[in-house]
Amino acid sequence: MNILREVASGLLKMFVGDAWLTLGVLSVVSLTGLLTGSGAVRPLLGGAILFFGCIAVLLASVAFHGRRHRDR
Amino acid sequence: MISLTTAAPAVGAAFVASLVEVVEAFTIVLAAGTLRGWRGAVAGTAAGLAALALIVVALGPLLDQVPLHLLQLVIGVLLLLFGMGWLRKAVLRAAGIIALHDENVAFAAETASLSDTTTPRRNGFDWLGGVMAFKAVLLEGLEVVFIVIAVGAGRGLLVPASLGALAACIVVLAIGAVVHRPLARVPENTLKFAVGVILCAFGVFWTGEGLGIPWPGGDLMILFFGAAFLFVGLGAAAVIRTPSGVIAQ
Repeated sequence: MNILREVASGLLKMFVGDAWLTLGVLSVVSLTGLLTGSGAVRPLLGGAILFFGCIAVLLASVAFHGRRHRDR
Repeated sequence: MISLTTAAPAVGAAFVASLVEVVEAFTIVLAAGTLRGWRGAVAGTAAGLAALALIVVALGPLLDQVPLHLLQLVIGVLLLLFGMGWLRKAVLRAAGIIALHDENVAFAAETASLSDTTTPRRNGFDWLGGVMAFKAVLLEGLEVVFIVIAVGAGRGLLVPASLGALAACIVVLAIGAVVHRPLARVPENTLKFAVGVILCAFGVFWTGEGLGIPWPGGDLMILFFGAAFLFVGLGAAAVIRTPSGVIAQ
């Protein structure tokens, strides 16, 4: 059971290593899906939102950890 | 017929990503074998590979039952979560914010944890070494399986991607058998940086395809996304780089 728990925990960590990063990515994907699915934006603009949203989430996560390290 | 230009990115991504994972698994198996005896370590490794094969055989056919757009969306999102995590960590390591992964240190840590327990049975079968090798192969192997499925399933490239992963295993085992010590000279963070970039590029592309976004240029957009993530990652590492190399453990 202990091995199974460790394997499950390892699997979870693969995708949810950083909760804020995960939340950010899922928010960007959901927003893109909502906007393109409802027809509020053209699919290509949805693609731009997805791409730049992911870049923004990555930069925000890196900047957050960088600042936290400097403040120590 | 699969063309080289279609298969090359998937094979390359599977090879490089698998190289990193197999090196990590190799370090742990080596520690288990050296300290607790090779019978247990080899048996644990074989059991881990068998468990992986079972998972692939059981879940593989299910992939054909999932509609392509849904498969691309799910795998795209998982790739984004996985790839962004790798890229973020690689950027922070390149900037000196967190410590680089060192296979020699990992080997020493595994050896120390094994030394703390009961006396190793060098000539008999050692369960502790076996379980440790089993866990390492299963956990790192699951990441390899996911990467192979992620870069291969959306375009029917599972076989070429699997060959890329298999090649990585052969390379690591061949070098490991010769040098017989942790493969510490593999530029792991550079590889992780590259894999993070590739996985993010595939992730954005397939998430978009799954959401019905018609990317201009088709597959070529993966190259554009990759270049953009590489540029952003390198830029972010340069901006937040610690001047004195002070690293948080």
